[in-house]
Amino acid sequence: MPILSMQGVAHLYNKGTPSQSKAIYDINLDIEEGELVGIIGHTGSGKSTLVQHFNGILKPECGKIIVDGTDIWSSKKATREARFKVGLCFQYPEYQLFEETVYKDISFGPKNMGLNEEEIHKRVLLAAEYVGLKKELLEKSPFDLSGGEKRRAAIAGVIAMQPKVLILDEPTAGLDPRGRDKILDMIKSYREKTGSTVLLVSHSMEDVAKIATKVLVMNNARVEMYGTVDEVYSRSEELRNIGLNIPQVSKIFELLNKNGLNLGSAYTVEKAAEIILSKGGASV
Amino acid sequence: MIKDITIGQYYNGNSVLHRLDARMKIILTVAFIVSIFICKNFWSLGLMVLFTLQTVIISRVPLKMVLKSIKPIAIIVLFTSVINIFYIKGGTPLIDGRYIDITTNGVFTALFMALRIVCLVVVSSMLTYTTTPTMLTDAIEKLLSPLKIFKIPVSTLAMMMTLALRFIPTLVDEIDRITNAQKARGANLDDGNFIERIKALVPIIVPLFVSSIRRAIELADAMDCRCYTGGPGRTRMKQMKFCLRDFIALIFIVLFIAGIVLLNYYFGAVLVK
Repeated sequence: MPILSMQGVAHLYNKGTPSQSKAIYDINLDIEEGELVGIIGHTGSGKSTLVQHFNGILKPECGKIIVDGTDIWSSKKATREARFKVGLCFQYPEYQLFEETVYKDISFGPKNMGLNEEEIHKRVLLAAEYVGLKKELLEKSPFDLSGGEKRRAAIAGVIAMQPKVLILDEPTAGLDPRGRDKILDMIKSYREKTGSTVLLVSHSMEDVAKIATKVLVMNNARVEMYGTVDEVYSRSEELRNIGLNIPQVSKIFELLNKNGLNLGSAYTVEKAAEIILSKGGASV
Repeated sequence: MIKDITIGQYYNGNSVLHRLDARMKIILTVAFIVSIFICKNFWSLGLMVLFTLQTVIISRVPLKMVLKSIKPIAIIVLFTSVINIFYIKGGTPLIDGRYIDITTNGVFTALFMALRIVCLVVVSSMLTYTTTPTMLTDAIEKLLSPLKIFKIPVSTLAMMMTLALRFIPTLVDEIDRITNAQKARGANLDDGNFIERIKALVPIIVPLFVSSIRRAIELADAMDCRCYTGGPGRTRMKQMKFCLRDFIALIFIVLFIAGIVLLNYYFGAVLVK
C-alpha cells in the first residue's frame, strides 16, 4: 500500500474571480513508503501547491488524498492526524521561528500533538541531533542563530513530530554551497536512519540526482513524469522542452556517448568520476 | 477574514471616474459627504440616492464589489436604525403601546440615517475603487501642501501613507504563509476558548513582527541607496493636471448641492419639531 496517494486531485487559485486558474489538476500519484522523491519543475509549475495538499493545508477542489490508508478529508480528526503524519517544512522555514529558545521552538510541534514532557524532551534532542544542531545552541534565542542554523532549527521543529513522511519545500534555497551540502547530507542520513519517506522540492536537478531514489517532474500544473532518477533523467530531450536542464555532467556524458565513447550515463559528478576512473582501470 | 479588508482596494478600470484627477475626486467626495447631512426631506434624499447610483454606474465597478464594501457596516446601519426607531420622539404616533412608542419622527430618522450611512460608504468606496493608493496619497499630499507653512512635513507623511498602503497586501501574504507554517506544526487556531485563541496567535504575531521590522530596515536601506531624502525638490513621475472633465465634474456636483438645497427649501423638512 502506498504511503501517499492522490486520486484525480485538482486545485484552483482565485476561485470565482476573473483570474481563476488551475494551480494543479488531474493529479494521480502513488508514493511508496521509504522513497526519497525529488520534486522538480520550474517556478509556477505547481510543486509547492502539490505538496501543501498532503498534510491538508490546502483543500483540493476535487479528488482524494490518501495518507497511510486514510482519506485526510474524511473527518476533522483525519485532517488533524495528517498534519502530524506528514511533516511539511515550507520554503524559508526560518521565518516561522517564534519562541524564546531554540529548544522551546522545536518542541512546539510535539506539544501540539499532546505528548508528555519526557517524550517531548527525547524528541527535541533527537531532532536536534538529526539536523546537526549543537546542544548548547538549544538554550539560545532562535533569533541569535546564523542563517543556516536557523534553517536547520526550523527543520528540526518539523522532524520532532516524527512524521511518517517528511516534505521539504526548497530547503536549500538561499544557502551557500556548504550550507546546501549540509542540508542535503542531513536529509539523506535522516532517511537512512529513520526509514521514513521524504519528499524534496527542488530547483536543482543536481541536488535531486545526488540523493533521490525517485523523481517527479511537474509541468504546467500537472505531473509530467514520475520514475527513478535514471528513467527520468534519460529523457533529456523532453526535459529540455519543458525548460528543465539536466546536470552539466550528464550533458558532457551525452556528448561523449554521441562521439563513440560508450560510457553509459551519469547524473552526479561523483558518479561520473567513478565511471571514468573505472574505464582507466583505477578506482576512486 | 483578512481577505475581506477593502481599505485601499483598487478596481482596475478606465471609466470617467478612473480618469478624473485624484485631487478633484477627493474634493468632490468631501463635498458629497457634507451634502449628505443637509438633506431634510424625501425629495432631497431621493436626489442623493440617485446621485450615488449614477456614480456607481459610471464607475463600471461590478455591483458585487460595491456590495462587498457595504457588508461590514450592515450591522452598524441596522443597530442605529433600531435605536432611532425606538428612541426618537415627535411627530405622529404610529404605535402607542405601554412599553414601546414608535413615532413618524423615529421611523424617518432611522430611514434617513441608514440611507445616509450607506450612501456615504458607497461613494467613498467609489473613491478608493477608482483611484490607486499611490494617486490617492499624491493627491492628499498636494491638497495638504498649504500646511507646509506651519512646518508640517506633509511629503513625509504622504510617503508614510503610501508605504503603509503598499505593504497591506504584502503583510496579508505574510500572515498567510506564517499561519500555514504553524498549522503544519499542528497549531490549532480555530478551536478553544477566547484566551486559548489569543494565545494561539503568538506563534503568528512574533514572526510577523520580526519580518516586518526586518523588511522596514531593508526598505529604509534601499531608499537610502537611491538617495531618498524626501521633502522639497522631489518631482513626480505622473504630474497631476486638471482638465476639462474635472471642471465638468465640479459643475456637476455644484448643481447637485444646489438641487439639494432647493429641494430642502421648496418641500420643507419632514421631521416635526
